[in-house]
Amino acid sequence: MKGRSWGIAIAVAALGALIGTVQVTGSATASGAEAPGSTVTLTVGLQQDLDSPNVTAGYLVSSYELWNLQYATLTDKAADDFATIPGLAEEWTASEDGLTYTYTRRDGLKWSDGEPLTAEDVAWTINTSRDQEWINHSATTANLTATALDDRTVEITTSVPDPKLPIMDVYILPKHIWEGPAAGDITTYEALDGVGSGPFTLQEWKPGQEWTMVANPNYWKGRPAIDQVVFRLYTEGGAMVAALENGEIDAAHDVPADLFVEMQGRDDIVTIAGEQGGFTELAMNGMQGGLGDGHPALLDLNVRHAVAHAINRDELFERVALSIGTQRDTLGVSANTEWNPEIPEDQQLNYDPAAANQLLDDGGYLDTDGDGVREMPGGGQKLIFRYAERSESSQSAGIRELVTGWLAEVGISTEVSVYDDTQLTDVIAAGEYDIFVWGWTPFVDPDPLLSYFTCDQVTTDVESPLYNDANWCSDEYDALYVEQNQELDHARRVDLVHQMITLFHNEATYVVLYHDADTQAYRTDRFEGWLRQPAGVGPVLFSNTSPTYFNLRPIGAGSGGEDDDMSTGMLILLIAGGVVVVGAIGYFIMRSRSRRDEKE
Amino acid sequence: MRAGFVIRKVVGALSTLAFVVVFNFFLFRIVNRDPVNSMFRGRNLKPEKLEELRRKFNLDGSKWDQFVAYVRQLLHGDLGYSLKGSRPVATVIGEALWPTVLLVGTSTLLAMIGITLGYRAGWRRGSAFDTTATSFSMLTYSMPEFWIGMVFLGFFSAKLGWFPVGGLEDPGSHASGLSKWLDELHHMMLPALVLGIAYVGEYMIVARSAMIETLNEDYLQLARAKGMREDEVRRRHAVPNARLPVVSLSAINFGFIFGGAIAVESIFSWPGIGQATYLAVRGPDLPMLQGLFLLISAGVILANLVADLLYGKLDPRVLGR
Repeated sequence: MKGRSWGIAIAVAALGALIGTVQVTGSATASGAEAPGSTVTLTVGLQQDLDSPNVTAGYLVSSYELWNLQYATLTDKAADDFATIPGLAEEWTASEDGLTYTYTRRDGLKWSDGEPLTAEDVAWTINTSRDQEWINHSATTANLTATALDDRTVEITTSVPDPKLPIMDVYILPKHIWEGPAAGDITTYEALDGVGSGPFTLQEWKPGQEWTMVANPNYWKGRPAIDQVVFRLYTEGGAMVAALENGEIDAAHDVPADLFVEMQGRDDIVTIAGEQGGFTELAMNGMQGGLGDGHPALLDLNVRHAVAHAINRDELFERVALSIGTQRDTLGVSANTEWNPEIPEDQQLNYDPAAANQLLDDGGYLDTDGDGVREMPGGGQKLIFRYAERSESSQSAGIRELVTGWLAEVGISTEVSVYDDTQLTDVIAAGEYDIFVWGWTPFVDPDPLLSYFTCDQVTTDVESPLYNDANWCSDEYDALYVEQNQELDHARRVDLVHQMITLFHNEATYVVLYHDADTQAYRTDRFEGWLRQPAGVGPVLFSNTSPTYFNLRPIGAGSGGEDDDMSTGMLILLIAGGVVVVGAIGYFIMRSRSRRDEKE
Repeated sequence: MRAGFVIRKVVGALSTLAFVVVFNFFLFRIVNRDPVNSMFRGRNLKPEKLEELRRKFNLDGSKWDQFVAYVRQLLHGDLGYSLKGSRPVATVIGEALWPTVLLVGTSTLLAMIGITLGYRAGWRRGSAFDTTATSFSMLTYSMPEFWIGMVFLGFFSAKLGWFPVGGLEDPGSHASGLSKWLDELHHMMLPALVLGIAYVGEYMIVARSAMIETLNEDYLQLARAKGMREDEVRRRHAVPNARLPVVSLSAINFGFIFGGAIAVESIFSWPGIGQATYLAVRGPDLPMLQGLFLLISAGVILANLVADLLYGKLDPRVLGR
């Protein structure tokens, strides 16, 4: 009897569960049907989660997208060309010495929680970020002092001439929210408050899954046309592309290159190779910090030129970068293409193995023992270069295969080591390399990237590594750097920067292999109004100030919503559930019967 | 069960855990590393700021200082900060734990169908059922789970669109209660099925061979001689004796529940421990990896302890050893 009653109890429970399941499905479908009409959702797929919503702690690209949408800035950047346009400030004036700027904010500004946004919020953000050295603010605010003259006016004074002003593109934070956390260790604040002044503000973050931002009704340009943006995390790039094709997401960022190429030319999906000045370079050790044991041959400009001539950049771009990006052999110092100089033809270091061989022969680097590897002039140390590459880059192996082959053809041998970024940073700091392949992504203003190659940035103490990773610098470059850093005439500054980049190119301490691009794609049937920043070449998502989101409009009805009908998968799930439950009931009835027979 | 036996097993488990804590710490510090420089590359931060960040991630001072600080933190349940996100490791792991227990737990239970199949196949050794079930098990056992995952994802999600491509619930979902539960079930179906298929063969093969070992035992003959039906002989006399190897396999697999399923969770973007491990390795995020290794080791140690204690219950002869 005991077995039987147990079996029947389970059977009844299972039946109850089945009935319950069917009822629940009915209600889920009903609530799903209501959603699409009321909420317009843009869903963006990506492969990198937020590191922190806290702008004083996070440092990943995904977090910048959150802050770009959540926090407006005093001055904004035009989508087309990064021109400085009014943001929270509607106008500004400069003092005659160019050291003091007075900004007047728009009237009636409010934070998303309804609190007034005042000049005091601006002054507090600038001064506190300077004092506490917030990692994403201090590069801009280090020399600034801000004073709220009244409710709408803020005066900003710089202690040194700064050509970046009047641009004030730091995220202004709501003092009434952040003042408390700033009293302690501000970097430990979770920052899930979702209070901002940009078009969208954070509503919820589900780490490892997604974060959701909702339209800010108090945004100074007006409420956005879409109600919410969901950033959805995919661990695997192929799965993200499948979700885009299925319509589970509307756009995807960081699409794997091979799948990106496959999607090109489709009617229902637009692919965007968005450039922001980022580049991949092959660097040679200039050894000016006095650290490490770089190969002495690299001190010879002719050897560096020979290495540059040995590399077929066209082939690398086609075979390794899959022609995504731009073929350009100069530093990318800005997301804005106006800073890119054209190198005169007679100074270009194009693929020319014969020229490479000639330069090496003329310099006395000969292969005297016939083993295929050249030696230093007069014999002795062979031209065997230690070649370091990043394990994190999917292009490293392809570049190495081709480059080491081409170097071998001109009599230069290589010993390859693969490092993760932390290890490679240490190896570079110690100067224990001859060649490495890495890259940089610049800001909009060229100054930060240009500063990395000054003599001040050459590492002289292993414990305190600086940014000049090729250990090369020159007085001429430094003088030009200081000049452009304080030049307030824009055209003159562009010219100075062009001179610096050309000089750096000709020294060939970096052989810039190509300029990279962000691989993005979006569906054509959901939203219109995608903006590339800068126009024609930049990305539509994760651009410098992310103007796309506010500009998007849904196409037709049902955009970005869920299907009204119960999906086939859900139906299968129910049928499978039903079969399992019925099976379980059958099993327990049979079992209780057999036990009963046995007892009888 | 004897108290001495239990104490011996518990002390053994605790000392293994202590060893893991020490080993874990030094394993990740064999290479002299300072991730702070590469994390903030190009930020123009002042040296004092970098020092402050090193302190935060427990990277300042000698190895021994770091170890003492690590153990002290650990005793307070603090696993340090993840390099990605500056969030406490314990919080990140805590968030990933439930999705993993749900997914791997469900698929382990699904895979346990293999035990019944194995017993029956072993009992009727050489029959058509045995041949079919064994071939099926060998096939699924030899297929890597990431491969099954890719095929299922490509076919059922990408091509047919029956199931979502990944995640725990629909994008931007604010569902609660039972509709949330159903949504999660819909998302879990494919990964759970893939893991279930990947595990079922192992259970089936172990259960089958354990059953075959009991087939010629005298007590089965005796049971038959008493006039018991074959089905009863199998259920009451053969199965209980074939249970030991299956118990230890199940225990170990339950221990691995906390380890998640790295390949399947990554393919289906399932926000569990497996995905967290994959992302931490990709970083590499050492404090996170350290925390995850500790959790996974503790899971396996605990499961083994439970298996040992269960052994004592199932086979009292073990107690004397």
